Amino acid sequence: MEDIHEVPRPRIATSHLAQHIGQPVCFVGRVEKIHPTGKLFVLSDGKGKHATVELSEPLDEEISGVIEVVGRVTNQATIMCASYVQFREDKSPFDMELYNEALKIIHEFPEYFPFG
Amino acid sequence: RASLSFLQAIMQGENVSKPVLQVINTRAIATGNGPPRYRVLMSDGVNTLSSFMLATQLNSLVEEERLSAQCICQVNRFIVNSLKDGRRVVILMDLNVLKTADKVGGNIGNPVPYNEGEWQQRPSAPAANPAPSKPQQQNGNLSVAGPAAVKYHAPSNQFGKVNAPSSVKTPGGSQAKVVPIASLNPYQSKWTICARVTQKGQIRTWSNSRGEGKLFSIELVDESGEIRATAFNDQADKFFPLIELNKVYYFTKGNLKTANKQYTAVKNDYEITFTNETSVVPCDDAQHLPSVQFEFVSISDLENTPKDSIVDVIGICKSYEDVTKITVKANNREVSKRNVHLMDTSGKLVTATLWGNEAEQFDGSRQPVIAIKGARVSDFGGRSLSVLSSSTVVINPDSPEAFKLRGWYAFDSEGQLLECASISDVRGGPASGANTNWKTLFEAKSENLGQGDKADYFSCVGTVVHLRKENCMYQACPSQDCNKKVIDQQNGLYRCEKCDREFPNFKYRMMLLVTIADCLEYQWVTCFQESAEFILGQNAAFLGELKEKNEQAFEEVFQNANFNTYEFRIRVKLETYNDESRIKATAVDVKPVNYREYSKRLIASIRRNAQLG
Repeated sequence: MEDIHEVPRPRIATSHLAQHIGQPVCFVGRVEKIHPTGKLFVLSDGKGKHATVELSEPLDEEISGVIEVVGRVTNQATIMCASYVQFREDKSPFDMELYNEALKIIHEFPEYFPFG
Repeated sequence: RASLSFLQAIMQGENVSKPVLQVINTRAIATGNGPPRYRVLMSDGVNTLSSFMLATQLNSLVEEERLSAQCICQVNRFIVNSLKDGRRVVILMDLNVLKTADKVGGNIGNPVPYNEGEWQQRPSAPAANPAPSKPQQQNGNLSVAGPAAVKYHAPSNQFGKVNAPSSVKTPGGSQAKVVPIASLNPYQSKWTICARVTQKGQIRTWSNSRGEGKLFSIELVDESGEIRATAFNDQADKFFPLIELNKVYYFTKGNLKTANKQYTAVKNDYEITFTNETSVVPCDDAQHLPSVQFEFVSISDLENTPKDSIVDVIGICKSYEDVTKITVKANNREVSKRNVHLMDTSGKLVTATLWGNEAEQFDGSRQPVIAIKGARVSDFGGRSLSVLSSSTVVINPDSPEAFKLRGWYAFDSEGQLLECASISDVRGGPASGANTNWKTLFEAKSENLGQGDKADYFSCVGTVVHLRKENCMYQACPSQDCNKKVIDQQNGLYRCEKCDREFPNFKYRMMLLVTIADCLEYQWVTCFQESAEFILGQNAAFLGELKEKNEQAFEEVFQNANFNTYEFRIRVKLETYNDESRIKATAVDVKPVNYREYSKRLIASIRRNAQLG
């Protein structure tokens, strides 16, 4: 799955998961729950809707706050995580609602935000 | 046979559909120089009541003896008016004679005079009120519901709208003919128009040496044109509760006189004054009439609207102040006033002032949508709105514009998050950043900012694309408050002309010429000490040393400063130097970009532009 970082990955919210089955996506959300096995965690998007992220290897660190996941959407509308980045919120908090507003615009005006 | 309807029901203001009554007697009342008025004694078989007046357009029925004692008639349309003494009068607007007197042959039943105040027992309820007609919506036009939802029951202490809407029909062709508003003129005294009320003002009272009185005005519209109408004193009392904004009525008979254009923008040479002969009857069949036209101006556009213009505005009431009472010096009267703050999708906030009753009764809880027709633009604090007595204020109008606003504000959440700049901000003059007006460099140039008499200030987000290293600083007077360039005496001393002193030293002071750019335009900007130090990330003294001692390090500072993006507060002014005029721009403040606020502005701007086209 290394090549996933070479291809366009649209930013999506939970509601878009179903339309991107099998495709690489970028999902930003706040950590809600982490499964005890460390191979699964749940994120909430700007609207508060949950998305499940799966890992091939269990997490080797504590994650919390807002993270950005790059991965492929599975048939069950979960995200198979290829990589993730934790957003540092020490300087300023990340505004999930505002991010969601930006997502809406990206999806409403695809002619200005083409995804490859 | 249709049974006779209850007089009691009619008099109590209940909805009775096309009551059938027997005429017991008719009597002509002299009216001076107008046509006679006929008073009719009616019976429902149980009671008689003489409080019926025939509308003058039906006079011929009496004169031709079709309507006469003992005939049975069906009243198609009537209005119940309350007199000042509490007595009720029923005006018969349209009726059919079902059975002429000769065919009836006598009084039905043994009716006794009806005594208002004594309710008689009745076996059955009056005719049920049919469902109210649908609100009038038109494609493309803005239909606005009246200030309160129209209720089809009669309030107990007011004039009842006794006519159930669906029982009202256009007058039969034999009676009053409807003429277009455009044809009204002072030389024609008998006319009926069918028009929609597009504006309804508040009741205004006056008191002067000649007496006192009250009036209210309305604007009427039909397919042919528009006209203003005013009701004074008794007519004001009579018609104010009856007439509702956006409803359609038949208006019959009033005085026509030349319009006083000073008080109105209505396009008609004449205007109507109601008289005691004027009648106003609801009209049902009027989908074809144009409805209240609002032409909303976006709040941000108000900044460019000349003061004293009359505009229509719609916005969410984001906040509101308490009602206060002020004394009007001119007549020493106390008037209530209240400021409310409206915001629309442009992200701008404007303060609108309500007066009188409207101010007192205003309820801004739950952030209603407010539409104002005919507000006046004032230049108080920049731009504000004043609601005039001729303006109409509608709270939560039933219109697509209102729904769109409500949706944008409540559900899209961007409305609530939006940092709104008030165009009515009284604090903060042009020099301070309190009134942040964000522009792109393109807008600043195309709007010719700085070309007026005074300097203009604006804020923008721009990227540094070039910095001029040469002459970016000068040797300045070391005194605390003096920044004048000193002259190097070449003997280790530096002279300041302004302080008239010589110093063994100087301080470096920045004057950095920077080119900033955004997506469409670029701009040369001069940055003095604080701005330059911020952009370069070093203070002037250190930079001075670097320049003298380490050329390479000095260059690196400039390279690192390039291609960074900041928020700039820019002052632009046209400066003339030796016959040459040029716009000079100075960065009075440079700050890191607040991306959150910037994003919100961009989102609002995108949404705004999307709506336009």
